[in-house]
Amino acid sequence: MRRLLKLALQKPELAATLLLLLMVLFFQVRSGGVFLDYNNLRGILGFLPEMALVAIGVTLLMIAGEFDLSVGSVFALSPMTMAVLMVAGWSFWPAFLVALLACVVVGLLNGWLTIWFDIPSFITTLGMMFMARSMTVVVSGGFPPRLDFELIPEHLFVAYVGPGEMFRASFLWLVAIAVIVGMLLSRTNFGNWVRATGGFLPAAQAMGIPTHRVKLACFVICSVLAGLAGIIQVLRLGSPLPSLGMGYELQAVSAAVIGGTSLSGGIGSIIGGIIGATLIRVIDNGMVMSQIDGTWFQFAVGALTIFAVVGNAWLRKRGRAMKVETDPK
Amino acid sequence: MRLKGLALVATLLSGTSALAQEPLDIVFTVHSGASNTFWQAVQKGFEDGCTKLAANCQMVYVQTDGSVQEQVANMEAAIARNPDALLTSIVDNNAFDDVIKRARDAGIIVIASNVDDLEGAAGNARQAFIGQGFVPAGYSLAQAQWKNMPAEGDLHILVGVSAPGQNWSEQRALGVTNFLDEQIAANPDRKITYEKIDSGTDLATVGDRVGAYLSANPNTNAYFDTGFWHAAVGRVLADRGVEPGKVLLGGFDLVPEVLEQMKAGYVQVQVDQQPYMQGFMPVMQVYLAKTVGLAPADIDTGQGIVTPDMVDAIMELSAKGLR
Repeated sequence: MRRLLKLALQKPELAATLLLLLMVLFFQVRSGGVFLDYNNLRGILGFLPEMALVAIGVTLLMIAGEFDLSVGSVFALSPMTMAVLMVAGWSFWPAFLVALLACVVVGLLNGWLTIWFDIPSFITTLGMMFMARSMTVVVSGGFPPRLDFELIPEHLFVAYVGPGEMFRASFLWLVAIAVIVGMLLSRTNFGNWVRATGGFLPAAQAMGIPTHRVKLACFVICSVLAGLAGIIQVLRLGSPLPSLGMGYELQAVSAAVIGGTSLSGGIGSIIGGIIGATLIRVIDNGMVMSQIDGTWFQFAVGALTIFAVVGNAWLRKRGRAMKVETDPK
Repeated sequence: MRLKGLALVATLLSGTSALAQEPLDIVFTVHSGASNTFWQAVQKGFEDGCTKLAANCQMVYVQTDGSVQEQVANMEAAIARNPDALLTSIVDNNAFDDVIKRARDAGIIVIASNVDDLEGAAGNARQAFIGQGFVPAGYSLAQAQWKNMPAEGDLHILVGVSAPGQNWSEQRALGVTNFLDEQIAANPDRKITYEKIDSGTDLATVGDRVGAYLSANPNTNAYFDTGFWHAAVGRVLADRGVEPGKVLLGGFDLVPEVLEQMKAGYVQVQVDQQPYMQGFMPVMQVYLAKTVGLAPADIDTGQGIVTPDMVDAIMELSAKGLR
């Protein structure tokens, strides 16, 4: 039992899960039992896939040892491209594919500039963050186009599904993508390459791992997931605003770190990133439920986020320090 | 009379010909990022005004929304170019004082647009303010929405401060709460309460936060947003199967998603500050100041209350980028 507990505490995503449960319990009590109310839960689960999809991409890229600060801007660029094309008379699917293709181009550019010019991805993607945001304004002419929702198969993305219509279809997208990327990371050679590339690059290169292609693929996956998440949000909210996704890049990095992803690469898990994103949404939502004064709101969110990371680190440390009996031989 | 008319035409023509030789150079620095939809209408007005005068104009946004230091740096850079006029939004009561004074000392016309110092003309050396009075606008919004509130019984109202600490958002909220305080005093027999939250400036976040608040406080009768982000709350209410009008929604500025929620019945009242005018009119004032020596003057671009019956007409103007 003690051995199991030690193993569990050492797993960063499990420590984050424990913290998430603790937070849910705290807010449930603090809000007088309405935090887990049907409508509120439905609201959280509606927003979560959008944040979590971005977090999955960023987590994968961080495991490969790189950052992407342009995800917030790509989050806006992709649906804006789709909306502009649809207003120009394109049907949904071609516009959708071109929008995702634009994300592929951004991902390739991020990767190519980072790898071939050997500059930190922090800088490359910071530049791309501004460029992609500007492109969003340029393609829309500054005024958000109006989407004709009769031409959009909303049911595939944002319609309510599942028991009691608790989830949106976007949640199924999240589950499917999380499983695919999770399997990719844990069950395939590509996953091993990603961890090796992010863990110790010279060794990975010496072993013949195509590290450049691995990183490039991670940049592209990260961008495409951010773009898909942006499209889902626009289909949910109905407005392709150029300001969508601002600040999401930092939230995604926070989610990955809270979920146990190492800032220096090589370590992390997809489920950890998702739990991190959930924790951020729960804190934000729970603070409103707890009727925190508006002027203290950001302080409280920040303090709880730090608490979450510190708590996570502490639990892992306790797990490592925990002594267990070894089997007698 | 005819002679007077001819003299005026001659004056304007001579002004125009002077301009033709040396076009006006006008810089507009704002506190917003380029991706804020509202500012695109201001920019359109600014550019249309500049096109009419063949002026050399530049609109300068900040990279980080609301960053005062970036805006001041942009103003410094603009002054170094010695333009004819500097237009700017004054979102802080002190940070811009020095840079505006130096611009004026250098002979540059300075006009505030969209947001002004809380002390008005006494706050710094700017020559005029063209925009909305935020406190009165908040007051007008609450007053207009009050007519839709239940005439009897308890009332609980939520006020979303979109950007705590920023003049425009705090003042609009103050206008709303001023009106509510008056109603609380005027109706001692009714329990009228309100609460303020940090609602955010992102549709998804505002929808989530206000949605959470409504779950925790189902007795909420109305929500006031200090921006246009309550459009997302309309979506949340529709998703929850809440009928339009059960939770009253109102806010500021006309953007397509708000107009759509007004058509759907979820948003009852909106205050329009005519952003196109905030871009266009300062340019005209600079022209008049430079050509015929008229002093720039304050213009209140409006606290126009927009209701759902006006939406179709406004949507046409919105499509042209005029509102």
